[in-house]
Amino acid sequence: MIDFARVQKELQECSRDVEASGIKVAPKSDNLGRLTGTIPGPVGTPYEGGTFQIDITLPDGYPFEPPKMQFATKVWHPNISSQSGAICLDILKDQWSPALTLKTALLSVQALLSTPEPGDPQDAVVAQQYLRDYQTFVGTARYWTETFAKTSSLGVEEKVQKLVEMGFPEALARSALESVGGDENLALEKLCSG
Amino acid sequence: MNSMEERDPDQEEPQTTDPNERIILIHPLAQGMVVIEGATSLESLLRDMGNKYGQPPASKASIEAMPRVEIGEDNKDGECAICLEEWESSAIVRKMTCKHRFHGNCVEKWLKIHGNCPVCRYEMPVDDEELGKKRDGGDEGREWRRTEREIWVSFAFNGNRRNGDSNENPSSDSADFSPSSPSATDYETES
Repeated sequence: MIDFARVQKELQECSRDVEASGIKVAPKSDNLGRLTGTIPGPVGTPYEGGTFQIDITLPDGYPFEPPKMQFATKVWHPNISSQSGAICLDILKDQWSPALTLKTALLSVQALLSTPEPGDPQDAVVAQQYLRDYQTFVGTARYWTETFAKTSSLGVEEKVQKLVEMGFPEALARSALESVGGDENLALEKLCSG
Repeated sequence: MNSMEERDPDQEEPQTTDPNERIILIHPLAQGMVVIEGATSLESLLRDMGNKYGQPPASKASIEAMPRVEIGEDNKDGECAICLEEWESSAIVRKMTCKHRFHGNCVEKWLKIHGNCPVCRYEMPVDDEELGKKRDGGDEGREWRRTEREIWVSFAFNGNRRNGDSNENPSSDSADFSPSSPSATDYETES
């Protein structure tokens, strides 16, 4: 049985310092078992400027079992599958501890973006490119960030406006956009699903 | 185990020393090879590999032995790091050897899965049955060697990203295999 009281606390705690960490966690629906995490690409990496969405599924044993995390945003990184978004990170596996939280786990994922470990790859193709042709790796990673992790060149206000034009109340559009980390398509999906 | 050994023409010839200080891991299909040297690195590797599947559960006795302490006015700051509930005055909580405190229910549940402190990973004693495999070797040397065997298995696992094959039939002396067989056919099998 998931400890929902703890998950609620985590969400509150996380929303308190979104400004500082840039890390967001929002439930996908009323069921707290499925959430979406959002991390900004670390500055000084090919992921800089991107916003990465991570699908989170809490197992029944949470927090005694690690949350399942997977990139929903396509990303080019040796320890993340370019196909499925699966993440190779010890704390999400055998090194999990119940003192870790969704936020600290997402911080670790963000740190992984800064410090690839090509020696323990999730995606062998990316890892080989990283080791053999680092410049090309950086180029590809940057291109993927530009293409997939910058959901839109529109600013928040323009996105809100777009949703309002579709007939949604402004306040609702704004909160929907916020809860999904600014992705207008996800926001639309959320608004449509009620 | 059937330890695969390979001669890769592109690799420099590794020098053999005391087999206890060097482990060579070779993956014939991926043409990969890893050489691990030195007692120090072996020790750290051992630690890492021991945790490959997480720390085993703590022994019942050690869980029982954790003192129950009362939360008083002077030490009520903070929270249980497992359920994130703040401490309540005069609550009785469990204190681990590393001094970290948790609700009894919270920490017992965790220690029955993995016997380490959620906060600092301080390792609790493990039940004898858990250690049985390592202990039946008897003296220190045997135990060390058997553990080295585990290093090899874990690493091959890791490098392959493939479960199964090579870890089914562990041998007791994988540390002995040396890179001294210049086989032109790229690998040979030792038993």
